[in-house]
Amino acid sequence: MDAWIELARGPLFRLALTICVLFLALRLANAVYLLAAAWWRAGDRDLPWKSVAQATARWLFPYHLLTVRPLYSAASFLFHVGILLLPFFLAGHVALLQGILPTWWPTLAPILADTLTLLSAAAVMAVLLARATTASAQALSTVQDVAVLLLLLLVLGAGFFASHPATSPFDARAMLLVHILSGNLALLLTPFTKLVHCILVPLTQLASEVGWHFPAESGRHVAVVLNKENEPV
Amino acid sequence: MAFQCSYYLEPLDTTNLPRRFLDAFAAILAHSNYGPVLDTVARISARCGRCAVTCPVYQASQDPRDIPCMRSELLLTIYRRYFTLAGALKARAGNAFTLTEAYINTLAEEVYRCTACRRCKLECPLGIDHGMITHLARWILAEVGIVPKALRVATREQLDGKTHNTSAIPAAAMQDTCEFLVEDCRDTYGMNISFPIDVEGAEYVFFPAVSDYLLEPDTLMGNAAVLTATGASWTIGSHYFDGINYGLFYSDRMLDRIVSKEAEEVRRLKAQKVLIGECGHASRSAKFFIKTFCGGRAAPEVVNIMEYTWHALRSGKLELRPNAIDARVTYHDPCNIARSGWIIDQPREILRAICADYVDMTPRGKENYCCGGGGGTVSIDEIREFRTKIGGATKAEQIRRTGATILVAPCANCKKQLREVCEDHGLDHVQVVGLHDLVLKAIIPPPHMRVEKPTDPEKDK
Repeated sequence: MDAWIELARGPLFRLALTICVLFLALRLANAVYLLAAAWWRAGDRDLPWKSVAQATARWLFPYHLLTVRPLYSAASFLFHVGILLLPFFLAGHVALLQGILPTWWPTLAPILADTLTLLSAAAVMAVLLARATTASAQALSTVQDVAVLLLLLLVLGAGFFASHPATSPFDARAMLLVHILSGNLALLLTPFTKLVHCILVPLTQLASEVGWHFPAESGRHVAVVLNKENEPV
Repeated sequence: MAFQCSYYLEPLDTTNLPRRFLDAFAAILAHSNYGPVLDTVARISARCGRCAVTCPVYQASQDPRDIPCMRSELLLTIYRRYFTLAGALKARAGNAFTLTEAYINTLAEEVYRCTACRRCKLECPLGIDHGMITHLARWILAEVGIVPKALRVATREQLDGKTHNTSAIPAAAMQDTCEFLVEDCRDTYGMNISFPIDVEGAEYVFFPAVSDYLLEPDTLMGNAAVLTATGASWTIGSHYFDGINYGLFYSDRMLDRIVSKEAEEVRRLKAQKVLIGECGHASRSAKFFIKTFCGGRAAPEVVNIMEYTWHALRSGKLELRPNAIDARVTYHDPCNIARSGWIIDQPREILRAICADYVDMTPRGKENYCCGGGGGTVSIDEIREFRTKIGGATKAEQIRRTGATILVAPCANCKKQLREVCEDHGLDHVQVVGLHDLVLKAIIPPPHMRVEKPTDPEKDK
């Protein structure tokens, strides 16, 4: 078991992290390039930067979130807070990163980390429940939407049980292995699933705005390609 | 299965329809800026369902097909399959999605159930603009011949017809109408107004929704009264005088051609600015797309008539009688001018200056509810029941809650839709008018505009 754990948190973790960081950087660079090129092609390059920045900030710090579907929104917010803080500030994670990166930042106190883990896991379950019971969310949900949530729940649950061997109904070493492997899988999947929004979210409002800024010749060029230049309406 | 939609289509060639659809999609992606949007949205869409809560159509229908995210997924599915590497790889692995005529039929039906009001974008944590995806889907469909007949016929007359406007009004008839309105205003309101035609070198060229010449005399008289009272330098071009732009609803190609006609008329008359009448989509298409298609920063500036009136009121050039309107008045924000935050407070300031009992709807402004006829659907008479009973249900409730008997809707499309909404929701006591209809009743004409009202012997009896 120990050999498997070492493999999972050693080479496999490094591989998953490398792929995750590399492809997230590529996704970000690609999005920035595409948006910059689109802006350059636009017939009107005056973008409402202020309102784009305001809309982006509004959702990066969603204080107003609870105005719509309060329970679902609160659960979603809580879950995002946990998913963002725990990977970087949990003492065990920082220790793991020490060999790879300079780790100068503080770690979460154990009681705070446990509370956040449990709250995040409860929030994931609430989001899953909402997906199963809210008509609109149920209609929209795909296998990926549910699978991603279940994977994150597994990461959180196994991590919690692994760090509390005395109270865990499961073998702590096995839980640690499950935690690391599921965590590695989440890292690997991040750039290739909707989890990629973790890196693209600062650009999404801008993308929606740039889309409305058409190239001046867009219609005429489309007409030429489709051989419709002289076609009546 | 024959291609069938709930709206009328002109005869449709369905030969190789999926192939032609994909060719059109590819051409549009290559030459527009929708590619980066789809690339981002296709990756990040969380399908959380927040948009469902804010969409008035879904709220009334409770039909999953009306969830904005669900509708966008129809196009995103095609995009992912045919225009991404992952889609190509999945297809190699087998069992991939295949675009069929039936699927295109579904898409064609769904995108015209959306009013393109873009309210859902406000509540999407990822800022996905489902209205834009609807807009794009409609353009692709238009390139394979799928456009509601009502929109296409009107645009054909505007671009290829003899009259160059969507209501097929000959220039001479427009001028006759203006002369009639001058007389009517003198007789009814005791004011001399003018409609200058083809004056070269004017500051503004005026483009109302052309249907106003047929249906909204008070709105036009109000517009002319403000412009006359303030001594504006303005004119109407006889070569092109229609502000309507259905291109915004179904094709960027048409949008381009129509705004280019406006800019061309301004150039012909050696004028400086485009002045758009009371119409939401006409204002948005001119304001945001004349710059795009007609020279960027060098393009003529676009002003909406409500902005003009508001400035005139603020600067003291226009005098209005306080409390001129006794009845309770409320205001409907047309999505195309309010969603971006462009025109929200200006009309309210004007209304507060002339109404004794003005009340706002809730929510209002950027977060307003669509009248239910947005995105060109108001012109499709065959879907009236859907438009008023589903699309307009939330708006009807909002109007009812205000207790107003006068509903100001400064948009030709919203006015038509709201009259039908009121009719179909038992709100017959509500009068739907334009903003300048009320301004006309409140204006204090400067001396040069005043005339003696002729005596009406019938009335005197």
